[in-house]
Amino acid sequence: MSTFSGIQQAATSLAASQYGLQVVSQNIANASTPGYTRQSVDLASVDPVGGVPRRYTVGGGPGGVTVTGTSRLNDAVIDARARTEHSRSALADTTAAQLSQIEDIFPEPSDTGLAEQLSTFWSDWAKVANDPTSAAPRTVLLQDGATVASTLNSMSRSLSDVGAAAAQSLGNDLDEANTAASSLAALNTQIRLAHNTGVSDNSLLDQRDVLLDKLSQLVGGVATINADGTATVKVGTDASGAGGVTYVDGTTDTAQTLSDDPTSGYAISALDPSTGTTTAITLSGGSAAGSFTTLTSTLPGVQNQLDAVATALATAVNGAQANGYDVAGNAGTDMFSVPTSTGPGSIAAGIQVVMTDPNLVAASGLQQLDGSGNPIPNKDGSNALGASQLGTASGSADNVYASLIGAVAASSKLAQQGQATQDAVTSSVDALRQSASGVNLDEEVTNMLTLQHAYQASSRVLSTMNDLLDTLINHTGVG
Amino acid sequence: MMRVTVGSSNYAALTGLQSNASRLAALQAQLSSGDQITKPSDDPAGTVRALQLRADVKQNTQYASSASDAIAWMSTSDAAYSQVVTLAQQARTLAVQGLNSGASTGTSASAIADQIDAIKTSMVSLANTTYNGRPVFGGTTAGDAAYQLNADGSVSYIGDGVDPGTGAADPAFGGVVNRTVGSQNTVQINQVGTQVFGDEGSATNMFAVLNDISANLRSGNYTALSGDLGKMDTAIEQVSGAQATEGAAYQRVQIAQSVQASNKLSLQTELSGIQDIDLADMAVKVSTAQVSYQASLQTTASIQQMSLLNFLN
Repeated sequence: MSTFSGIQQAATSLAASQYGLQVVSQNIANASTPGYTRQSVDLASVDPVGGVPRRYTVGGGPGGVTVTGTSRLNDAVIDARARTEHSRSALADTTAAQLSQIEDIFPEPSDTGLAEQLSTFWSDWAKVANDPTSAAPRTVLLQDGATVASTLNSMSRSLSDVGAAAAQSLGNDLDEANTAASSLAALNTQIRLAHNTGVSDNSLLDQRDVLLDKLSQLVGGVATINADGTATVKVGTDASGAGGVTYVDGTTDTAQTLSDDPTSGYAISALDPSTGTTTAITLSGGSAAGSFTTLTSTLPGVQNQLDAVATALATAVNGAQANGYDVAGNAGTDMFSVPTSTGPGSIAAGIQVVMTDPNLVAASGLQQLDGSGNPIPNKDGSNALGASQLGTASGSADNVYASLIGAVAASSKLAQQGQATQDAVTSSVDALRQSASGVNLDEEVTNMLTLQHAYQASSRVLSTMNDLLDTLINHTGVG
Repeated sequence: MMRVTVGSSNYAALTGLQSNASRLAALQAQLSSGDQITKPSDDPAGTVRALQLRADVKQNTQYASSASDAIAWMSTSDAAYSQVVTLAQQARTLAVQGLNSGASTGTSASAIADQIDAIKTSMVSLANTTYNGRPVFGGTTAGDAAYQLNADGSVSYIGDGVDPGTGAADPAFGGVVNRTVGSQNTVQINQVGTQVFGDEGSATNMFAVLNDISANLRSGNYTALSGDLGKMDTAIEQVSGAQATEGAAYQRVQIAQSVQASNKLSLQTELSGIQDIDLADMAVKVSTAQVSYQASLQTTASIQQMSLLNFLN
């Protein structure tokens, strides 16, 4: 045993305490850094070196303490679960937000909504029936018809706007995911390098986890952590409903590029830059999947229903017009015109009142001819009276609209409930994750006190050793 | 034991504060609009029901307005009926007077005949009674009169709804004025002129009878004149019959009106139950939400200040 081993031993202890304080300081500094995982010092006691001839170690004492590394105190299982839940949460949030935007287009029940406008329109027909040749009720009827048409137009436009916003956010999500994917590919290289050279890679792993969170939230990326700390991310399912593509490959440090094609129903595909092959995929989670569903199914469904409202209105009213006769006694002509459908929402967007002369409203259900076979006017209002009841007929515009409102309201409510449930699940997982890997200041302060005391004690050991040596060297054998 | 960390406690506090704040905001939206349903997803089934009820209320309002219009129309025609009957009875009395004074001079007979002619003229103007610019006995004619007094003293029907062949009313020729005053409740509120004054060309047509009486008085054909009395009775019966028919229609409209009034009340009660807030209930909910929000703010503020550092020196 060396005379000075005690000093060496105390020195390792001082160094370890100091290092421990640095880690505490790091933890406190990053207490509120997003994605930071708390670290702890790994210490190991040092025994006499093994394999050394016994004569050198006879009576050999312990060798002090050594820092073997800093652990990153995360729970990989909870991390994976948090990513899954965040991917679902992002999907639920996007779906609920976009449905609520759709719902906001239909402010029902109200005194100004389309339902009320339709009721007023049918009521106008009854007023025309009560006073068939008077200009005032006819003019009001046409104006209210135009109001209904323009409300349908603006509703359809607003739905298209929601679609445009959803397309924009889908594009943004994919762009952002592509950026994160290529960052992750680059990070994978660094992580492998650090791992292979034995450098602490904790902060790299924190960054990796932030990127993995992002990818799961944006496109529902599912990560696998490799043995060397690199991550492989898969997204979506392919046409067969399984598999998906390897978005970021942890072994080759490459990332694919996701893109959507607005011209073919926003189809999403992944491009492998190394081979140039594209694979069509269906995203199964993340906000991009929410926007995709809105664009390809929810929105067209609502738009088609709105088209059905416009078609039902035009068909019913034009049909009634065709059965009647106008003020002059001539057969009625179309009141509404609807365009040929060029896609969801196009009929509602294009419906308009083509009748400009209120006298052309076919209130009369009876044609009377004079001696020479020319029509003569009359004050019959039976056709208008019949038309006033069209709103209550089955399959009427009112009924189609009410079922549209019912469907939108129910799916929006469902989405909100789904969002609330998912939020609760996600929060609890986040809490678990924070609990495992977050910083508790009280704990850090406690550790700090412990380390401080350890440092002080080691110093005392050192000075005691110093006193002993002083006695040995300076006060023995001196005359 | 679950570790509590800076992140987790902040996060939990924030989640709690947000959920309290959003509950308060939702209550405020309901309270400030007075609506229980501020957007369809608040109550999908209620929204659809509210739409239906609103349409029903609107429909009911329209029925009520049609009913008032029908009542006004029928009041106008009812007044005309009563006056027509009075005039016809006056004419009959005059005819009887003519018969009784048959032996007296032709001057007095022609004076009576003049009165009969005057009655006929008044009768024509009664037959052309209008409501809102429309002759009530003219069917659905676009013209402004139901009968016209010809130069030769004869009176002819110029409205529609009459078969020109038989001179009798026939709905195939129009002339029907309907008002829908309730669901599946359409009431005919008019009688075509020929249903009131007799078919065109018929011997018992009111105007033909009057002309006949006048002519017979002038010509002194008392046998024919006494026959005219019977015809006049038939004509008067016809008017009364038409009045009774219209009276029945009047009653139907009145019943419909009272049904509408009670429907309106029940529809609005139900609608209000679905879409309006209960103020007392709301006030309790708001104050509860306020208290819990305040409590969470206070605890967050006091707990966040706590740290081991406060107790070390």
